[in-house]
Amino acid sequence: MDYVQAIVDGLLFGAVYALIGIGFTLIFGVMNKINMAYAAASFAGAYVSLGIAQVVGLSGDFGLPPFVMFLVSAVAGGVFAYIVYLICFRFTPDHYELASLMATIGTLLMVDEMVVQATNGEPQNYPEVLQGIFDNPMLEFSEEFAIRGDLLTLFIVAVIATLGLLWVLFRTKLGLATRAVAQQRMAAQLCGIRVDRTNATTFVIAGVLGGLAGAMIGAVVGTLLQSLVVIPLTIKGLIVTVIGGLGSIPGAIVGGLMVGAFENVFLAIRGVTERDMYVMLLLFVFLAFRPQGLFGRVAVRD
Amino acid sequence: MLEIKTLSKHFGGVRAVDELDFTVRQGEIFGLIGPNGSGKSTTVNLVTGIFPPTAGEIIFDGRDITTAQPHVTLDAGIARTFQNIRLFNNMTVWENLWVAQNSAEDKKATNLLSRWMGGSRKAKSQVEEYLEFSALADKRDELAGNLAFGEQRRLEVARALAAKPKMVLLDEPAAGMNREEVRALDERLRALKARGITVLLVEHVMELVMEVTDRIAVLNFGQKIAEGTPSEIQNNQAVKDAYLGTSGD
Repeated sequence: MDYVQAIVDGLLFGAVYALIGIGFTLIFGVMNKINMAYAAASFAGAYVSLGIAQVVGLSGDFGLPPFVMFLVSAVAGGVFAYIVYLICFRFTPDHYELASLMATIGTLLMVDEMVVQATNGEPQNYPEVLQGIFDNPMLEFSEEFAIRGDLLTLFIVAVIATLGLLWVLFRTKLGLATRAVAQQRMAAQLCGIRVDRTNATTFVIAGVLGGLAGAMIGAVVGTLLQSLVVIPLTIKGLIVTVIGGLGSIPGAIVGGLMVGAFENVFLAIRGVTERDMYVMLLLFVFLAFRPQGLFGRVAVRD
Repeated sequence: MLEIKTLSKHFGGVRAVDELDFTVRQGEIFGLIGPNGSGKSTTVNLVTGIFPPTAGEIIFDGRDITTAQPHVTLDAGIARTFQNIRLFNNMTVWENLWVAQNSAEDKKATNLLSRWMGGSRKAKSQVEEYLEFSALADKRDELAGNLAFGEQRRLEVARALAAKPKMVLLDEPAAGMNREEVRALDERLRALKARGITVLLVEHVMELVMEVTDRIAVLNFGQKIAEGTPSEIQNNQAVKDAYLGTSGD
């Protein structure tokens, strides 16, 4: 049946939405501020990896192995995230959330425009580096049902990245400091934690995840088109965080998979032009009936 | 050890702390008391760098920490607890202590790996010691947010100690405790003193303050109205007036 196929494809692709949602949620968790430029900076990372592949690669085919593509994109995503931290958060007033919110919206639009300038607004072929790692191109289970090998690879990479993040958060002192700042900032400072450094590190980690997500989206779709990735994925990342609950990592994971499945079902029913409209509808349903999201707690701060 | 010199903090027109002077000597338990809103917590916040003073100086251990940030005051050797408990509620008891323990360790850590990754066995065994000291060993895996109120207060004191301070500022550690818990706290404060840790105790529970402190300063409307030994304070007319409200409103 079509819907099973659509849902499974959507769940697999939803893993990148989960990664982007985790990035938003991490930053919100430690700073209690929204970084609207997060997804844009991550995709800037993906464009950098594309640019490097085009320069290094032989004409026609891309000369970089997938591992290197993803690494470049992840590192560039981390660097851009750090720059966003410096210009939008580090020196803006701490108790004035609007200042950094507006700064990040400005950065989002600026990054969007920079990508337009760099690509003339045209779609850029992205090497389909995820192809062929599993059976090419499909693992066929029956006449009606098959799993795309590249989607499965994407899903596995996303799971590994998420497990890596959880390991850092819950098994290292760096993660301990991050959680301490997120839970009780003032006490964390008085336990000797440098809050500004912890914030910066969190931005870099989120940026690395975002850069990875950007590269994988490029690799699965086969192209990067600014008008389809930069702002739309910012919005989808926000939807994922709202559905999961701001600040909740399990929420971002479930929210990401849900959005992936949901949009694919509507893609099957209503086609690509109407798809995002229904995803937005999901946002309003949650904001109206469960504003704290699936896993969020009703905010209490002293 | 801690010298407060003509320290003032104004919030708008309110003089929360007004030209305050006192000195805490090395190794003593110094009480800071006064009616609600007399500037005790503001003083603690000034010393730990939560906000900068309007005027005056704070000298700790010969070092000027007047405008130091919180993590710098910790580096200098001051740890604290909060009147409204500020634990890491979604971490276990053990992790709460581990956070503070690491800050003490990391001053020595030279490379990023040891600062970011695991932690030494020795550091972990020291956390055990603070668990024992605060009688929380059997609660080590509980989330701090699920502890009983008295246990949370104990954990906060233990967390302050885990940062290996020379001095701890305790902001109403006995608030909401029953008689038995206060007695245990009394013993714990004496144990701190025996370890050579200087204590600044902000407290409303008078039996504790009068019992355990070496000297006391009394604040009212941000100013010091008396300073002396517990018995001197108990017989001070200005203090009685402040607590009975005859001098204020």
